[in-house]
Amino acid sequence: MIKLQWMIPLLPVISALLVHLLAGRLGKRVAQLSVGMGVVTFLVALWQIVAFIASDQGPSWMGIGSSWGSVYLDPLSAIMALVVAGFSLIVHIYSVRYMAEEPGYARFFMLLDLMTASILLFVTAGDLITLLIAWHLVSVMMYFLLGQNTESLRSERYAFWTFLTYRIGDLPMVLAAVILFQAYGALDFPTLFERLMAAPETEVFGMPAAITAAGLIAISAFAKSAQFPLHTWLPYTMDGPTPVSALMHAGIVNAGGIIINRFAPAFVNADGVLHLLFVVGLMTAVIGSVLMLTQNDIKKSLGYSTMGQMGFMIMECGVGAFSLAVFHLIAHGMFKATMFLSAGDLIGDARRHDDVPQNPLYTFLVDRKTGKATRLPWMAIGLVTLIVPLAILLLAHWAVSPDFFQKQGAIVLLFFGWITGVQVLFATHRLDATNPVRMMLMILLSFALIVIGYSIIGHTFETFLYPDAAFREALYHAAGLDAVTFDVLVVLLGLIVLVGWIGSYLASREESLFGNRFADLRLTLYSLISRELYIADLYERLSQALLEGSKRINVWMRWR
Amino acid sequence: MNTLLLLLAGFFLPLFPLSMVFNWLLGRFGHPGIRVALIVVWPQIGVLLLLAAGVPLTGSAFIWWGLATAAFYAWRLLTVRELGQWAAMLATSAFALTWVMAADGARAIDLHAFVLGFALAPALLVAVTTLLERRLGAAYSGLFTGMARDMPRLAGLITVVLLAAMALPIFPGFFVMLDLLLDRHPAPVTVALLTWLLWSWAGTRLLRDTVFGPRSNRNVADLPVPQAWAFAGVIVAAVVLNLIWTGV
Repeated sequence: MIKLQWMIPLLPVISALLVHLLAGRLGKRVAQLSVGMGVVTFLVALWQIVAFIASDQGPSWMGIGSSWGSVYLDPLSAIMALVVAGFSLIVHIYSVRYMAEEPGYARFFMLLDLMTASILLFVTAGDLITLLIAWHLVSVMMYFLLGQNTESLRSERYAFWTFLTYRIGDLPMVLAAVILFQAYGALDFPTLFERLMAAPETEVFGMPAAITAAGLIAISAFAKSAQFPLHTWLPYTMDGPTPVSALMHAGIVNAGGIIINRFAPAFVNADGVLHLLFVVGLMTAVIGSVLMLTQNDIKKSLGYSTMGQMGFMIMECGVGAFSLAVFHLIAHGMFKATMFLSAGDLIGDARRHDDVPQNPLYTFLVDRKTGKATRLPWMAIGLVTLIVPLAILLLAHWAVSPDFFQKQGAIVLLFFGWITGVQVLFATHRLDATNPVRMMLMILLSFALIVIGYSIIGHTFETFLYPDAAFREALYHAAGLDAVTFDVLVVLLGLIVLVGWIGSYLASREESLFGNRFADLRLTLYSLISRELYIADLYERLSQALLEGSKRINVWMRWR
Repeated sequence: MNTLLLLLAGFFLPLFPLSMVFNWLLGRFGHPGIRVALIVVWPQIGVLLLLAAGVPLTGSAFIWWGLATAAFYAWRLLTVRELGQWAAMLATSAFALTWVMAADGARAIDLHAFVLGFALAPALLVAVTTLLERRLGAAYSGLFTGMARDMPRLAGLITVVLLAAMALPIFPGFFVMLDLLLDRHPAPVTVALLTWLLWSWAGTRLLRDTVFGPRSNRNVADLPVPQAWAFAGVIVAAVVLNLIWTGV
């Protein structure tokens, strides 16, 4: 079984080579070859996960070299290989027609194959060096895929931004590998993780190895997953071909969540780093969402939407819900890939049939016009909005895991789930409907189905990814805070949400909490947000200063 | 440790400002054979001198001097537009890292392999410079953009050589860099990583102004197929040999 694991990253490499060598002879038919190899890769990945579950043997590892070059078969690599191979296959099939008129058709499929191989090597890597190679290669392939249109300087510019940020993320990963190797004297994951769990307090040059390595891996994950303030590349990568955007938003940007899960044995011994993940993830989720709402460019808006989702994924890791982050990234990947790949068809359909539905749902969601008045009593709506989502969430989680109250992380996520549920109900109850009671029941039913489905699948997924219950507990425990801090934070968050609701309620009635007293401040805040917090400008200034300095020194030293 | 010998080695494993001699020599000789020989042989002399002076260099100021030189030249590399000069400065930056490699003691063969691994990309860049000079009269970035469309084989070669220059996988520079980093103290490792980042930045700037960009629409011959295969053979051989050397 483990021997077959080698085939997963190797098949796309063979495909890329064949595409390059046969492009002249086969012409555009090389795409079919690439798709065919994609199908085989997907089938091998599917076979591997089925065989892994059926065998019940636990993780296995196989190396081909004396010091590096190995693959690992464990729940994380098995599920991620299947997901990546699946997404890649869909993107391949979509690209056959989509890229047909573009120059560099064969090159595109070769790069797509190499990118797939890099990600597959990344998820199946069995040692630090192989992982580093894959981690670096993802950056390189991303650069060339985004710059597929070689004549567009704009594409190259944004590909360069992405590459440089990825490189900034690559290097802490190298440093983390250095520290782990020096502390535990092993490159292969099974030995490394075993030693790490046996001696988590090991120090290197006076620094705690596990905590330092986890911190560096976190920084690396931040860059790859567009976390604040290393997020500026993501909204600008839409200049690449649509299939690349789909692959990126569905797969590559999730690398941060995967790497954190891969090094879970380091994070479980680094509680401070988990808190950092939570804070950075929360900030990214909030800033990403705010920036998304203020963009007038739909593509940038989508980019910031992904940023917000990535923030949420990192935040989930920060509360110890590692498996939920993986589940989230898969679900988000499916959702985003569908959006990107169906965008062209939707635009085409809209052009052919201009029959915009003038029903209440369209008026509410697209025209943003609410109904004339709420048809249900205000008090009933208030109670249903606040209590029912909470009850559904509590019952669903209690059903799958009765002890979830013991986990702070689960409570934090429940809190966010509750807020989201309340937001949905609060926003939709004003929808003008002929039968408001029926509509509210349908909304509640949908909400309940999503929550129950998510809870059951999430719980099953957790036991698959982390079968050791003690390890799962340890993750949640490490992410925990002392009771007082936790309670204060929850109350604070609750108050922020409450003030936000009151503000939004008053805004909908064209009133304000503070009248016009803070109008200037609001305007400043709005311009700050609309200029994306000037972070990209700051980087631009910094890089210009470095380039200017370099030029002056070179002239002064006569280029010697 | 013999300080005089170490200072002498500073000319060959370039330490700023002694490094200016190496850069001047590379600029002085126009023949590609001499330039390649200089890139390959010059640092090997430095390694011999270093070994004669006595390694390890534990605690020596030469280690930080080497690191500072590497980072300084990597920074200067950002605005160099002439490919020959670019190769010289990259070589200076990379060879200066040998001082870090020798910090805690290294086998003679490892030090020789180290500089040889780093010499590959600058040597290939010298060859690319010659190819461009023959076609365009000069090898400046920005002089002829959009090569990916006009001269795909030459553009492919430039891309691969620049990836090797940026020490990215699976080229020898990547493994040489890992070999350097894996056994060192995090402080020098951090400076070496910064240097690595600057190489990537400089490399992509060069790619932007040669391979990418609007087509120049000038009638210039692409790299002949046999020559392209010859270059591919050399690069693949170097990659395979290096993979065997590193333990796969």
